[in-house]
Amino acid sequence: MGTATGIIRALNSGVRHMARKRFTLRYPEQKLKFVGDGYRYDPVSGVGIAGLKGRHMLFHDHCTGCQLCAIACEGVAEAIAMVKVPETHKQNKKSIMPQIDYGKCVFCGLCVDACPFYALYMSNDYELSSFTKEGLIYTPAQLQVKPYVSQDAEIQITDRGATHG
Amino acid sequence: MSAQLPPGLQLEKTDERIMTLNVGPQHPGSGHMRLIVQIDGDYIVACDPDPGYVHRGEEKMAEYRNYITNIPHLERPVIHDSCNILYPYVLGVEDILGIEVPERAKYVRVIASELNRCVYTLYWLAIYGIFLGHSTMFMWPTGDRELFIDLLEKMTGARVTHAYMVPGGVRNDLPANFEDVCLRQVDYFEKRIAEYADVFYDNPILIARTENTGVLSRTDAIRLGTTGSVLRASGVDYDIRKREPYDVYDSLDFETNVLRAGDAYARSKIPWLDMMESCRIIRDALSKMPKSGSVRVKLKPNPKGGEESVYRRVESGRGALGCHIISRKKPEPYRVKLSVGSFRNLIALPYLLKGERLGNMPSVYWSLNYWPVEADR
Repeated sequence: MGTATGIIRALNSGVRHMARKRFTLRYPEQKLKFVGDGYRYDPVSGVGIAGLKGRHMLFHDHCTGCQLCAIACEGVAEAIAMVKVPETHKQNKKSIMPQIDYGKCVFCGLCVDACPFYALYMSNDYELSSFTKEGLIYTPAQLQVKPYVSQDAEIQITDRGATHG
Repeated sequence: MSAQLPPGLQLEKTDERIMTLNVGPQHPGSGHMRLIVQIDGDYIVACDPDPGYVHRGEEKMAEYRNYITNIPHLERPVIHDSCNILYPYVLGVEDILGIEVPERAKYVRVIASELNRCVYTLYWLAIYGIFLGHSTMFMWPTGDRELFIDLLEKMTGARVTHAYMVPGGVRNDLPANFEDVCLRQVDYFEKRIAEYADVFYDNPILIARTENTGVLSRTDAIRLGTTGSVLRASGVDYDIRKREPYDVYDSLDFETNVLRAGDAYARSKIPWLDMMESCRIIRDALSKMPKSGSVRVKLKPNPKGGEESVYRRVESGRGALGCHIISRKKPEPYRVKLSVGSFRNLIALPYLLKGERLGNMPSVYWSLNYWPVEADR
């Protein structure tokens, strides 16, 4: 193949793409849809349930203050600290619950795998930025809140290329 | 500009003709790296790669953490090939702990590692494009990479550092409907990368820039101990997936790609051909995978091994990736040594650059499939 033909073919290939749909996601307006409500773990079978590893969800009525999540995090990020909570729960004699520093967390989810009481899950919320370092530390009360997410964009494959709609 | 630069960082004239030039330390889309190049006019006389700027002590860190807690940090050297860098470690730990992995988990692992190989290769290709000033080849692979990142995100819950493989299987089962989505996106991707040929691989400008530059002969490739795409581009048919099949690679239908030229063009083409094979492997693995069953063996907390040392290796995006683990009856490994493809390919660089023009340096350097962070560990 001659040089001229090759260059024309390359240009032609690029020109054909002008009719293609835009692939990129218009991020703040559109957000990617994830499977499920975040990564979970079933301690009975020992297998996780697929989902995004985002911000944690803490269920106060399940947490016993056993610190297994903090121990699991020790060698990874040391992001989890056990702190006193004001309210008392029957199953939580010491009234301590995990507080997570998202400035350190690497979102590996090993703390979720460590929890034997279905108390710690991960959620689809990944927009955690803050102006201060203190703002990244989530107290047990903040972790209890179910995040509001509106994520619906998915990759669609059409005959005019892949697009996010 | 009177500040004195540290020794070795300033321009030096060694004799009348030869000039020592420091390329870097800089971050060429990957990690910090410096090449000390001696040039005579426009021609390179000698080249001395200077790795080590991104040394993080991963191997030493692994000695203080137990077998499970090692997982998130051991994948950090190559965050976008994280399944493949964990693979030998996980296989080795399974040997030490004597775990038999469920059949379905083996297939899921193969799918995850092949998807990850494509993610890595597309990123590599995008950087190769921009190294050569081909900005279309930067945009296209970066966009198509999203198809695989999306699949891995559905599978593992994270976009890059998946922490998906664990001794005993994988962390979680595939989500519902994954197979359909995966097949649809892989089919589309196969059509898509065929288009790369027109714009990049058959492009006369690329061929003119990379053909016959940095030629590595077959004997040199073997003598210098290169691996992966560098070795296969020099005409040696060597792929760990074929030679020492791990998990279920021996039952899957795929071929290795071998080119004979040994130049930068062949080295840049092999990963592209490998991606097509990866698509074949993914499709084959999805059809042969058991439709149900467990994907993870439940381990005791803080599992301990015996007095053992194991060496397992896999084919990563950059070539053979080995992991030597020594266990001394403790929850922590006594020693973890990663033998990475990047570092072994780097040794060929001084030989390849000798006599080349300085302008060819980026195309030869990046064609070695070298990842500084992985090489420094």
